[in-house]
Amino acid sequence: MRFPKTSALGIRLPVNGRAGALAAANLKTLGPGSVSSLLKIALDAAYVLLALITGLMLILLVVGLFIPLDNLNITVSDSSGGRQLPMTRNLLVFGLGAISAYFGGFLLILRNLRKVFRTLTMGDPFRPENVSRLRQIGLILAVVTGGVWVAQGLVAARLAPGVMEPQGISDLLTPVFSILVVFVLAEVFREGARLRRESELTI
Amino acid sequence: MAIRIQLDRLLLDRRMSLTELSDRVGVTVANLSILKTGKARAVRFSTLDALCRELECQPGELIAYEPGPSDVFEDGGEA
Repeated sequence: MRFPKTSALGIRLPVNGRAGALAAANLKTLGPGSVSSLLKIALDAAYVLLALITGLMLILLVVGLFIPLDNLNITVSDSSGGRQLPMTRNLLVFGLGAISAYFGGFLLILRNLRKVFRTLTMGDPFRPENVSRLRQIGLILAVVTGGVWVAQGLVAARLAPGVMEPQGISDLLTPVFSILVVFVLAEVFREGARLRRESELTI
Repeated sequence: MAIRIQLDRLLLDRRMSLTELSDRVGVTVANLSILKTGKARAVRFSTLDALCRELECQPGELIAYEPGPSDVFEDGGEA
């Protein structure tokens, strides 16, 4: 929903000299040069970078299926020393697949965030589509976090027993909190979308 | 919506067009159509005041209740 400019409504906001000018400059949230448009540029750059990394990882994954691994080893080490393990095809596919999925998940999150920001820069963020986008972000974040936790647990148990410490539930606290915040924000947007609709149909 | 704005009947009685009413009350024809077709979710007192003034009627003549499905508790869905 586009709000009319205060000048068009004949309303003049109080501006007290320099302080008022500074406040007006700081409060610029929409339009060219605003906070949201700067964030959008950062998101676009991160999206392109992640797309390149994900693409590269997928290419490596495909290449990894065909390269000979007979003489390749991996070293698992900690402060007390290390040991060498043979590089198997399954291990390589698991590693590259996990990294590709990790970056792919964040790519999807950024894709949704960019769409949310596009609506914000247009001055109309409280749309029903943004509610589902935020829910998708929460869901992807949950899957990525859970996946990383399981993958690290597998590596600790299978690949490097005694070298890597197994994952604990406490490691999930911060990600779970972040996921919760995203879902709460989605509900806030849902209410915002409902209020927007109400105001649109108020004559 | 079970609440109806009976603009059609009042406009017919006053031999007034929707465009003329729109000009008089300062509400767009599109918004008057939303009111007329029962798609509006709420009416401002200022709008009601202008409609009653121009149509020379009471709010009770303008608003009617027709028993039917209500969408008061719907959120975000189509009305």
